[in-house]
Amino acid sequence: MGLEYVRISPGFEKYMPKDYVDLVQYGQFGREVDVQQLGQFKELVEEHPMCAGCFMAYFIRVFYAALPKPEDTIVIGTAGCARLALSQAAVPFIYGNYGDTNAVASGLKRALSIRFPDKDKDVVVIAGDGGLIDIGFGMTMHSWFRREKFTTIMVDNEVYGNTGGQESGMSPKGVQLKMAPKGKQFDKINAVELAKTAGCVYVAKLAPTNPKRIAKTVRRAILAARHFGPTFIHAYTSCNIEYSIPTEKVLEDARKREKQDFGFYEWMTEEVKEFFEELERKPEEVKA
Amino acid sequence: MYYVADVKEADCAKYNCKQCVLFCPEPNTLMYHDSKHVAWVNYSRCKGCAICVYVCSDLLKRNCIQMVMVTTGD
Ligand SMILES: Cc1ncc(C[n+]2csc(CCOP(=O)(O)OP(=O)(O)O)c2C)c(N)n1
Ligand code: SF4
Ligand code: SF4
Ligand code: SF4
Ligand SMILES: [Mg+2]
Repeated sequence: MGLEYVRISPGFEKYMPKDYVDLVQYGQFGREVDVQQLGQFKELVEEHPMCAGCFMAYFIRVFYAALPKPEDTIVIGTAGCARLALSQAAVPFIYGNYGDTNAVASGLKRALSIRFPDKDKDVVVIAGDGGLIDIGFGMTMHSWFRREKFTTIMVDNEVYGNTGGQESGMSPKGVQLKMAPKGKQFDKINAVELAKTAGCVYVAKLAPTNPKRIAKTVRRAILAARHFGPTFIHAYTSCNIEYSIPTEKVLEDARKREKQDFGFYEWMTEEVKEFFEELERKPEEVKA
Repeated sequence: MYYVADVKEADCAKYNCKQCVLFCPEPNTLMYHDSKHVAWVNYSRCKGCAICVYVCSDLLKRNCIQMVMVTTGD
């Protein structure tokens, strides 16, 4: 693995699809990009069928630009909207059964550490609120209790978007959805506190209003998982379809929610804090 | 016929800015020209959400990007 799988055999360059050649020549493999350079390099994620203006798609775009080592990363997703883009990226992707993502990731990460004991292999789960906190709840929790060393990112659109608008445990209390016509009866689950209690070593919550901060958070979550234990990011990624947000107001909505209940929050253990302080002292090592 | 974003190059070039590029949800779509310092749209990939217009017009008050109707093949 490593960079081998993105090399073009000599003489075949002119027969390969342009997007592939662009990816090899102007992409992220084997070099560090800064998220501020978006629009000036070939991104890992390709055209995909997520809706116009979807901020879950936006979060995923920034996520790929932020990967510390895309050539040594495996992404795990499942049923739900996110996999529509995750499956269109030049990073290996595994489709876990709905609810199974964190069990699959646990096994995979353990297998990778046995097969490649001297290499860093990053495993990241990206799944919806339904996939992680409702139907996959048990497996999400147990991967945390068992201190599995991978990152879990919940792209929380507060609804089952892909199946047409059922309420989830993450939908806010009182909200009316197509299939919650009387309004949701219960509170939004506090996923961040659950993650801390269950043993995550790095936990963050954000609304996608600042690409630099998203990238830094993703990077920190991946590096902390590499060395210490489970990490979790709770990202607000609105569903403009099910919440009837006009597409041009999607960023305005994210900014509003950031002020209301998705203000940036970051928590980590003392050990992880010291690790990042050390990295910041030696900036060349952050890139390792 | 469908809607895509279109950058007014001469206006955009005044600002040395790339804020809209950093907020487009689509990959490899709203690009930035290194030497001309302007944003440009890969029309066939644009989904017409107008988030870039919100960034340029509503947030930055620069009005350098607008939605236009194009016909397939344009
Ligand atoms: C075991 C199983 N149960 C149910 C489904 C049907 N299903 C597909 S996507 C989905 C809900 C997706 O909601 P969420 O995880 O929040 O992702 P979103 O689409 O909102 O991003 C459901 C119930 C399934 N594919 N597999
Ligand atoms: S249904 Fe909602 S979450 Fe899914 S792609 Fe469309 S806007 Fe995004
Ligand atoms: S936000 Fe406006 S001024 Fe800035 S790069 Fe985009 S089009 Fe140009
Ligand atoms: S309209 Fe939407 S998809 Fe098109 S360039 Fe603007 S932000 Fe990107
Ligand atoms: Mg959801």
